[in-house]
Amino acid sequence: MFDLKQVTKTYPLDGTNPVTAVRELSLSVKRGEFVVITGRSGSGKTTVLNLIAGLTRPTAGCVELDGVDLWSLPDRQQSAMRNWKMGFVFQFPSLLPSLTALENVLLPMIFRPAPDRGEVADQAAKLLEMVGLADKLTALPRQLSAGQQQRVVIARSLINEPEILMADEPTSNLDDQTEREIMATFEQIHSLRGVTVVMVTHSHYPGTRGARIIEMAEGRIVKESRS
Amino acid sequence: MNAARLIYRNITRNGFRSGVVFCSALLLAALPFGVTFITEGGRASLQLVLDRLGADLLIVPEGAEMKVETALLMGKPAQAWMPLEKLAEIARLPGVARVSPQLHLATLSGASCCSASEMFIVAYDPATDFTLRPWLDQQSGGALGPGEVLGGSQVTVPNERANILVYGSPVRLKGNLARSGTGLDQTLFMTFQTAHEIARMSATRAEQELVVPTNQISAILLKLQPGVSPRDVAARIGREVPGVTALQSPELFRGTRRGLTGLLRIIFVVLALVWLLSVAVTGLIFSLAAHERRRELGVMRALGSPRSVVFRLLLAEAVVLALAGAASGIALCLAIAFWFREAIVFLLEMPFLFPPPALLAALIAAGLLVALLSVVLAAFVPAWRISRMEPASAMRE
Repeated sequence: MFDLKQVTKTYPLDGTNPVTAVRELSLSVKRGEFVVITGRSGSGKTTVLNLIAGLTRPTAGCVELDGVDLWSLPDRQQSAMRNWKMGFVFQFPSLLPSLTALENVLLPMIFRPAPDRGEVADQAAKLLEMVGLADKLTALPRQLSAGQQQRVVIARSLINEPEILMADEPTSNLDDQTEREIMATFEQIHSLRGVTVVMVTHSHYPGTRGARIIEMAEGRIVKESRS
Repeated sequence: MNAARLIYRNITRNGFRSGVVFCSALLLAALPFGVTFITEGGRASLQLVLDRLGADLLIVPEGAEMKVETALLMGKPAQAWMPLEKLAEIARLPGVARVSPQLHLATLSGASCCSASEMFIVAYDPATDFTLRPWLDQQSGGALGPGEVLGGSQVTVPNERANILVYGSPVRLKGNLARSGTGLDQTLFMTFQTAHEIARMSATRAEQELVVPTNQISAILLKLQPGVSPRDVAARIGREVPGVTALQSPELFRGTRRGLTGLLRIIFVVLALVWLLSVAVTGLIFSLAAHERRRELGVMRALGSPRSVVFRLLLAEAVVLALAGAASGIALCLAIAFWFREAIVFLLEMPFLFPPPALLAALIAAGLLVALLSVVLAAFVPAWRISRMEPASAMRE
């Protein structure tokens, strides 16, 4: 599915003291895997997720998706690859505040040429129903709780029927009960749809059975196991 | 859900930001449009007077040039006289095709024997006239008879009367000329015969007698033979006919035109400063807005929006606000010009007429274009910068 080959990412923070978030890291993820990346704050796990998704350019090394070097592609193709193959759940509130829940779910589809609007709207409504928000289609983000907003984000991440679902600490701001529900949703998506899931979390993840747990520290993989 | 809806929602969500950009666009369009509109309205008005004169040269008594111009432009009555013999002298000059004399008179101020106070009266000779006749045929169905007058667009018959009183003599308003925005709108046109009759009767009917000096005229309108240069004939009149001044059409209202040009120069300097300020403010607003929406735009990039789409979305928002602001600004200018036309004429002391439709359309298009280009220019750099950011960097706090 995708390969990180000897990837290094350095952020030129203030120009004088660059910070290396990921150091010569190699990682290969196969289709259908459930990968959990854990580690303490600053260990580089979010950067790894961004590198896999092509959201940041590696300072050194190569990121391949289905054998294609992501950074050899022009922006339009790289964006299209994200739009057609990837779904994202971010740690921070990532809904557009001016759009309703339904419109937020539909957002990735406006970057595609001429989708069947009626069909995708039905699909978006079904996804919101799946995450338990059938009665919140027209609600604006500010009218939803943090947990509900994150569920809308999950629905949005699935609207394009992605092959890979990237989740960056999707439950960090949620209470325990909501966290369990969200995690259950991810597991359901993985098992029912066969979607490859790459999830970053700093907490100990009890995990779905057979999930691949990658532990990071100081920009490197320090431990790998299965739950 | 589509891109247009997204643009609409982004514009309506942040009222303050959109409001500032809207107001900037309004100013950017309204100021140059308004100024050009008024000055072009002044020019159009002057041109209309020149066209209506229909003469190649206007001969006035020496030293009375400004008075006659003021009378024609602002309707402020002017009386100046020259001997009738000048008419024959000028008619004999080579190249002259036709000459026609005029008397310039005025009604009394605050007198009950005159319906309108200090109204400019132009009396013409129907036998030789070649300037008023086309209007008369067109607008009032033929030549004026005794006791009949033609009025400028603002001349009306008082409510309580059937006729207009001029020095105690009732005259019938046969028709009105179309609006010119100049003093012609408040001018009364009549034949020599009517003027002399009014003058004769004024001794008994008016509070003050109307005196028309014998064998004196106020102005001569002159038509040249085809191919003859007005400049040459004017120069010859200057040399050979003492006591008169020949004004060529392009020379008429030169002072007013010069005033307009001077006014334009000053206003354009102010406009340039306002333009710079508005572009800077709009640029700042867009920079702040782009920074505030960094994460949102980063999310859009992550979800598959190419850089070019983010860039175009931001510019499209700017374009919508620019067009809406500019259209409102122009509409506001037109409304002000329409409702406060008299005040504009009074304040600027120059004639004003809505410019012809083609020119008006061009001015509107230019106003929209100026605002559009200015706002797009201001939004371009922030939109470009934010669209070039890596999505991960854009989403980071």
